[in-house]
Order: sequence, then C-alpha cells, then structure tokens
Amino acid sequence: MQPDIVLSMSGINKSFGGLRALIDVELNLRANEILAIVGDNGAGKTTLIKVLTGVYLADSGMIEVDGEATQIRSRRDSLAAGIAAVYQDLGLVDTLPAPHNVFLGDEPIRRVAGLPFIDNEKMRRDAVRILRERVGVELPDIHEPTRNFSGGQRQAVAIARAVHRTDLKILVMDEPTASLGPEETRNTLALINSVRERGTPIILISHNLDHVFEVADRILVMRGGRNVGVVNAKDATRHDVLGLIVGSGHHAAAA
Amino acid sequence: MATDSDMTGPRDSDRTFRLPWLRRYINLAGPLVMIISLSVAMLILQPRFFEIDNLMIILQDAAIYMVLGMAMTLVITGKGIDLSIGAVAVLSGITMALLIKDAGWNVYLALAVALLVGLACGIVNGLVITQLHVPDLLATLAMDQIYRGIVLVMAAGTVLARFPEPIPFLGRGRIGDVFPTAAIVGLIALCVGFLIYHRTWLGRYAIAIGANRESAVLTGINVNRQKVFHYALMGFCAAIAGILLTGRLNAIQSTAAAGFALHTIAAVVVGGTLLFGGRGTMFGTLIGVLLLSMVTNALVILRFQFFWQLVAAGVIIIASIGFYSYLQRGSNRDDRSDE
Repeated sequence: MQPDIVLSMSGINKSFGGLRALIDVELNLRANEILAIVGDNGAGKTTLIKVLTGVYLADSGMIEVDGEATQIRSRRDSLAAGIAAVYQDLGLVDTLPAPHNVFLGDEPIRRVAGLPFIDNEKMRRDAVRILRERVGVELPDIHEPTRNFSGGQRQAVAIARAVHRTDLKILVMDEPTASLGPEETRNTLALINSVRERGTPIILISHNLDHVFEVADRILVMRGGRNVGVVNAKDATRHDVLGLIVGSGHHAAAA
Repeated sequence: MATDSDMTGPRDSDRTFRLPWLRRYINLAGPLVMIISLSVAMLILQPRFFEIDNLMIILQDAAIYMVLGMAMTLVITGKGIDLSIGAVAVLSGITMALLIKDAGWNVYLALAVALLVGLACGIVNGLVITQLHVPDLLATLAMDQIYRGIVLVMAAGTVLARFPEPIPFLGRGRIGDVFPTAAIVGLIALCVGFLIYHRTWLGRYAIAIGANRESAVLTGINVNRQKVFHYALMGFCAAIAGILLTGRLNAIQSTAAAGFALHTIAAVVVGGTLLFGGRGTMFGTLIGVLLLSMVTNALVILRFQFFWQLVAAGVIIIASIGFYSYLQRGSNRDDRSDE
C-alpha cells in the first residue's frame, strides 16, 4: 500500500433487497487531497458515503484507515476512526450560537462543587480558534444564533463542528453547494479549499461538475453502483467525466 | 486566510451593529408592555393593587407557577408538553396528606415521599412517551386522567386539612412577616432552572432536540433518555407545587389544581418560549408567570365574579399568545429575508 493513502475502501458491496446499490466499489483517498465523487442520481454516491460514515452497514468489503483495517458498524465507529461528515442540511441547531453547535454532544465540562457544568467560556474560545485555524473563518458575532447567519457562515460552523476533534482524519461533505446561491457557493468552495490547506483530506459529493473541477484534485465517477473510473481533475475535461457518468463508452485512464 | 473577507460581507457587519444583545430579548417586549399597561390601568382603577401586602399576595400566588414554569420551559423546549401536572401535583399532595393525617408519619418523611411520587409520575410519563411512542400531548392527557382517577380513589370527596409545620410555612408563611416563603422557593427553582438551561447538558440537549431532533441523534445525543429526564424534572416540580398548594390553603382535596397545566403552559409561552420547541427562556417564564398572576389578582381586586375571572383568564391567555405569535411571525419573516 502506498504510504500516503489515508483511506482505502475495497470490494464494497451493498444491496437493498434485490437492488445492488454498490458493486465491488473501490475508493482510495490520498493525504491532503480533495476527492470528488460524481455520478447520476442512484449511482451509489450517497450509499457509499453512508457506508463510510456508519449509517449503513456494507454487505462485504474492507475499509482501511491509515493502513489499518477498520470495522465501521455505527456512526460512533466512524467517528472513532476519525471520519466526520457534513450533511447537505448541515444539521445545525439554529437556535444556538456557533460555539454551542461546534461542540454539541462534546461539550467541555467544568466541575463546580462536584457537578458537571458546561464551560461556555472555554467553548467559545476554542470555537473561535477552530474556526480561525482549521476552517479559516472569523465570524462577525460569535454569540448570534446560527439562524441569523448567511449560508456560507452556517456551512463554516458545520465544518468546524466536523473538524473540531484533533483526531480528525477525513472530512466527508455531501452536496455542500446544492442549495446555495452563487455568492454562497463561492464562499463554500473557498472554505473547502481552506480546510484542505489546513491539512484535512476531503471527500466531496457533488452534482455540479463546475464546482467539482474548481476544487477537486481527483474525480471518482460512479454509475449503476460501480466505480467506473477515477480521473485527475487537471488532465480531464468535463466532457470526459460526463462521458463516464452517462456511460457513452470512452473511458478516461484511471489515475 | 482568503475566506475571511468573504465571510464578513457588509450585510453581516451591519447586522452586528443593528441591535445589540437586546435583540435576543425582543420576545419579552410583549409581556413587559402588558405588565406596564396593566399597572397603569390599575393605578387609575384601584391603587390598592400596589400596596405591599397585595404585591406579596401576587408573588405568593405566582410562586407555584414559577416552580412549574421552570420545568415546563425545559419540557416545551425539548418539543414536549405536559398536561398531567395538575393531577401529579394533587397526587403528591394527597399522598403526603394521607401519610400525615391517616398514617401518622413524620412530616419530613411524608414530604420526601411526595417528592418521590411526583418524580415517579414524571418518569412514567417520559417512558410512556419514549417507549410506547405515544405523542407527548396525548400521553400526558391520558396520564392526567389516570393520576386524577387514582387520587379520587385514594381520597374521594374528602378535604384533608390542618397540617403541621413546615407545610403551612412553605405555602403561606412570610419571611420577616413580609416576603412569602413560597416565592423564595419559586425564585430558587427558576435560578436552578436558569443554570440547568444554560450550563448543563440537560438544557443544551433540550434545545438541540427541540430545534433539530435528527441532528441531535446524529450528534450522539440519547434523545429518549433526555426526554425522560425532562418529564422526571417536571414531575418533581409538580410535586413541589402540590406541597406549596397544600400549604397555602392548609388543605388539599382531590379536585384541586385543575388549571395548573393550562396556566403554566400559557405563562411559559407568553414569556417567550417557543411552543414548538428549540428555544426558551427562564427569565421570560418569570415574566410570564408574574403577568398572569397580576392579571388574576387585578380581577379579584376589581371584584369581578369568580366565573368572569375564568373567562378573563382564558381570553388573556389567548390574546397574549396570539400577540406573541404575531410578533414571532414578524421576526421569522425578518429572518427569511436575510437568507
């Protein structure tokens, strides 16, 4: 195995009743890269990601993180393996401010008279630091509930929540730009780049080839539950990738 | 950091300066305006309203609802509701009364048992909701019937009265002959509630569950367990309310506390807690409780017939929640236009 492979999934199969959603899928994520997964609706992109994040259990296959075989049977397993995900709806609690969201379910505790109280002050400091150092964003008002934030700012908070753990190895983003306007999309793509520059490799699922070509290093194309090719974004054209997505015959060389 | 400037466009910095921290308390504007209007009206109609003695009576009446409102704020924030609190309060109070009057128990032991009865009722409510998957509203409505039925079986028709200290002291005693003990209990409950709400997992996760249950689950929060905690606290507080009620009248009967649930929910919602969960405020609950108690008291002072008091209380509850919903719609529209 090459040393710079952070995540390797191989021979992944998953069926729902008679439907074979994933067929012998293979995926390799290199250190410090953005790997995009593209494909038509029903091509298996989301199923693959749900297997990786422990939402679905694969019927067969192997997942290695940093070269070590890893069992992922639940969300908890996936988180423990250092894999975090940002879903399309972001999953923010919009009535809470950013720091509360970043640390939701993982609040720092300070004991007062033996009772566990949430250390809001430390949480705020750490959230500001994580947003600055790991996401590359300064929010205008850290005390505002996130429902008052713009789409890009909310995305930044969701990413900060995913990357706040020091043991994070892989960030998965499912359709981060799907429901955003042009301005917010630009911000979000910048954010994705910014997170990668700070050392976290990213798996990005997207329908939008323009966005994919703008940020991705490599593009994995899925069709009918299979991995039908991986191309270098630098060397491939939109036409090549589209060809793979719809299966018009001319395959690009695997990268 | 290339993205910094992108994240703080002009629109966002405007927002920071537009309204400072006060904006968060905008929901309190409604009840505060009503408190002020009511005060002005009473100043003209019946200045006796403002005598220290009367103000202390208002506080004493409000105390029970402070205790109930504290827990109800948490329950409603977690997208729940508890309609059984009147029956739980009476069940706790009657159990205590029977243990003291019939079984001759030590009063402190009986108090402790009353609290445990309330706690147990709350846990049962929580389990029915989370394990049998009965919606909160129906589950607690049905449990209200069950608890009330049990109370009637235990003490049908009888009035149990004249209890040893500290029960009357808790319910109607005065500290320094002025300040009602019950109000101290109520204010302590609200302070504890404030800490729970803002500084503990219990409050934080209630907000998460109420605002975005799915994301709470994905974060690893055990939603069912949290909800049982909410109802357990509610039951415990209902028991305290039952004890305070028993002490205030120095008597308890099985039909008491019928309006607890509606009155408490109204106070909580009038105070600015979202009826559909995800956002709440303990301070707002205090304001809501005070407003409703002032209204009730004003009607008494103005010598409205008791039945008119019921009508007026209902109208005011609807009016204040309606006004509040109106404000809320306004602020939601505002939020949407910002997106």
